Amino acid sequence: MKFVAVIRQVPDGESRLKIQEGRVDLSGATLILDQMDEYAVEEAIRLKEKHGGEAIVVGFGPERTEEAIRTALAMGCDRGVHVVYEGFADPVAVAEALVGVLKEEAPTLVLTGGQQADWDSQALGGALAEALGVPVVAWTTALELEGETAKAKHDLDEGAEWVRVKLPAVFTTQQGLNEPRYPTLPGIMKAKKKEIRKVQASLTPKVTLLSEEIQEKSRLGKILDGKDPVAAAEELVRLLHEEAKVI
Amino acid sequence: MTLTQEQRLVLEAVRRVAREVLYPLAPEYDRKAEYPWPQLRALAELGFLGMTTPEAWGGVGLDSVTWALALEEIAAADPSVAVIVSVTSGLPQYMLLRFGTEAQKRRYLVPLAKGEWIGAFCLTEPQAGSDAKSLRTEARRVPGGFVLNGVKSWITSAGQAHLYVVMARTEKGISAFLVEKDTPGLSFGRPEEKMGLHAAHTAEVRLEGVFVPEENLLGEEGRGLAYALAGLDSGRVGVAAQAVGIARGAYEIARAYADQREQFGKKLREHQAIAFKIADMHVRIAAARALVLEAARKKDQGERFTLEASAAKLFASQVAVEVTREAVQVLGGYGYHRDFRVERYYRDAKVTEIYEGTSEIQRLVIARELYR
Repeated sequence: MKFVAVIRQVPDGESRLKIQEGRVDLSGATLILDQMDEYAVEEAIRLKEKHGGEAIVVGFGPERTEEAIRTALAMGCDRGVHVVYEGFADPVAVAEALVGVLKEEAPTLVLTGGQQADWDSQALGGALAEALGVPVVAWTTALELEGETAKAKHDLDEGAEWVRVKLPAVFTTQQGLNEPRYPTLPGIMKAKKKEIRKVQASLTPKVTLLSEEIQEKSRLGKILDGKDPVAAAEELVRLLHEEAKVI
Repeated sequence: MTLTQEQRLVLEAVRRVAREVLYPLAPEYDRKAEYPWPQLRALAELGFLGMTTPEAWGGVGLDSVTWALALEEIAAADPSVAVIVSVTSGLPQYMLLRFGTEAQKRRYLVPLAKGEWIGAFCLTEPQAGSDAKSLRTEARRVPGGFVLNGVKSWITSAGQAHLYVVMARTEKGISAFLVEKDTPGLSFGRPEEKMGLHAAHTAEVRLEGVFVPEENLLGEEGRGLAYALAGLDSGRVGVAAQAVGIARGAYEIARAYADQREQFGKKLREHQAIAFKIADMHVRIAAARALVLEAARKKDQGERFTLEASAAKLFASQVAVEVTREAVQVLGGYGYHRDFRVERYYRDAKVTEIYEGTSEIQRLVIARELYR
């Protein structure tokens, strides 16, 4: 059996981002394996540990993405494939760029993060399924293999449902599915020797990025005159209810 | 400095455990003066207690540069945890690796490197501090081994550690012994009430008729002081890295505070008096780190690094004290409050100018090395 986790490298949420000439400048940012994708990597490793076979990490992105692939190898994936592409690519184009590698690997199933932290998109899992012509189960919080099928729990806004799906299929992952392990130092040392196959991506972006900007958060700076405490409290409640809409 | 991919991955791993485990628990363990077992276990699981010990002996086999960088990260989150890690890896593991027999390595180095055991280093005595050569603990030869009597003071992890590397006087001079925690006659004092590093217990180790079998003599009889000094060279790089981490931990808090606190209608960092402090802190930390990495690099190349280790330790400890003091100043009244953490870094920093050789001893070592 082959379990594939599709991953990307994204800026750490705590990084300070700058805009240079209408583009996000990542030169000073710490880049990490997308935390949503970590659940996919962890699940691929767990499935392999339980059922045997191989856990494979497939990374998409510029040369530096190799480090995120190496992190997945340090966590316990057996080998990696790096589909190299510099610059922005929309999820549908990414899926089309990955389909060749994925068909060649012929995995039992494919996992990827439910959301891509950098472009704030949830489309990659669905686009991968479409490109492969297989079903997709989004936002999975539990996953069990049952012969030719898998049983998966899928979260809804106010509840959850269990589904059975024919394999191969794509599952998108999220918090709750598992608790991703930390890479250990021996894992990091072993990862150095694991294979990462490089593939140059051939793709035609369907969406072009025009410019980027960082949201400026400014405070309203509203100060209530507290001379009359009762009136001030009433005004505060009115503002919280009508303007902030928090109560 | 450009890091290798392996170094970046190691630092990413240590930063994560520092952020998620060490940093949140540090104030509580300081306040309760409790030995940080959960933090040490978390580090041990990931391999951080045996960083430089080779894989064959249960460690990871990292170079000293990576070890120093990782220690800095640990210290930036919790200096108490850092000193325990620095001692167990820098002293007992290093000494066992260099001078231990195959059997000693198997029995002691492997559990220490895996982090199942913690190691302690026992040189200092109540009457023998900087003047280590005047130590009085004696090891009398008896059939099958030695009997040790004496008192060791200021021992990091005393009472918690599983293995004690004890320097004692024999007929042939000072020798090093490997003493297990539950050996009859070995006992420990109450943890000392120190100014800082509250979570890293420091106590007396008392040896009353402790029998140590022949096979637990480390290396050659009479060579113990040389081994201890070799251990201290390595340990000093660790303390220097810890000092850089302490400075950086306080610096980061001061910097974040200066970004956010407003006085006289502008942010603290927009006041030149504060901006200059931040600039000075940054330069000092960078300079101290450069000395630490230079010492670590020399150690990795197998060269004599006594001078570099002492230089790094001397300078970095001074930087730790200065930077943490300035960090308290940047935070003003809040800096003096326990909830804002910088007062703890300030308290923790001072001892780096004292232990593993005071600043005065470092100058002595440096001068001797220069005129060798």
